[in-house]
Amino acid sequence: MTKLAVPVFAVLAAIGLAVSCYLVFFVAPLEYSFNEANKLNGSSLFFNQKIYYFHVAHAFWLFTAVGVAGTASIGFLVKRDPRWDDVASASVDVAVAFGAVVLLTGSIWAKAAWDVWWQWEPRLTMSLLLWLILVGYVLVRRFAGPSADRVAAGMAIFGMVGVPFIYKMVGQDSHPAAGANGVVATMQSGMRLPFWISVASFLCWYLALVFSRLQSTRAEREVRELRERGLDLGVLS
Amino acid sequence: MTNVRASKISSVVALLASWIVVAGFAGAALAQPGPAEHAPPAAAPSEARKACADAMNADPKFAAEIVKVADEKAAKQRDDDTLKAHQDAVAHIEKNERQVIYAYAGMWIIAAAFVLFLWRRQQALKGEIANLRRDLDAAAGEATAGKGQA
Repeated sequence: MTKLAVPVFAVLAAIGLAVSCYLVFFVAPLEYSFNEANKLNGSSLFFNQKIYYFHVAHAFWLFTAVGVAGTASIGFLVKRDPRWDDVASASVDVAVAFGAVVLLTGSIWAKAAWDVWWQWEPRLTMSLLLWLILVGYVLVRRFAGPSADRVAAGMAIFGMVGVPFIYKMVGQDSHPAAGANGVVATMQSGMRLPFWISVASFLCWYLALVFSRLQSTRAEREVRELRERGLDLGVLS
Repeated sequence: MTNVRASKISSVVALLASWIVVAGFAGAALAQPGPAEHAPPAAAPSEARKACADAMNADPKFAAEIVKVADEKAAKQRDDDTLKAHQDAVAHIEKNERQVIYAYAGMWIIAAAFVLFLWRRQQALKGEIANLRRDLDAAAGEATAGKGQA
């Protein structure tokens, strides 16, 4: 199933991304607004708003990936089944990549919209901390020795608990709002289809990467088992 | 001799004192504000200008024609201003375009790097698994052969 899932989701993601790129750049309107004096608002983003379609989609699946990793880590700690650990590890690896995209595109957006590369405000700082926790998870798994899986599982749960706080830090900084009155909910009608196709495409991309990483994780376990057999047989030293 | 020297000294002192007095007056005079500069009185319309205005107003059609030309000039100025505002907006949007290119390039570079990492890792693991299996199969074969000989 995993072997088939990777190409299927990869093809779906490629088709979806091609369609969403076309819609984003050739169909979706430019973003602008007027103030009370019926003049162009200073917060109008025009072409720069095109970053939003991929930045927000990556943020959605970053939070989902962290949620999957945290849940799978709880499953691993409770049942001690290594398959849960595989799912958590694969999801965190993809979350690190998605988190890097979110931080990078968000920083470029901030430069264009607010003329600053970074602001030490709660939401951005928490997002950076979440990403650092994910990087820490990867480092722990690589270097922490025999108990690495359990320590890393604890870190994944810690990261998952932080996600709602990041989401709820709305309206307390210059970052666009989320929720019922947020930018997604109040989007112009011409922007909705490109946005949701982009979100669906990145879901397929996320799944393709997770399943691909799962294959690697299982291969890593097979290597460990073969080594142990080799040590038992005295073939390996 | 003493009187001659005393008279010389007194004449030098008198000369210095007079220079000091003159310099003081000159400085005080320079420090005074200059005379107020009055704006020249508004020129009364000349006879020729008055005649010209009368001639324009005498023929209402001619006057309307002149106003129309003046309005066209004003309209052209407005058009130029609007065009300049649009050009500024285009320049602003183009600047944003660069940011969008950076963002998308960054996103694809990270995605490509991650896929490359996954692919290389997968290839390395495949190779390692094949080597381990080969070694184990060889060891198992040797063990079987050893048992057979025994």
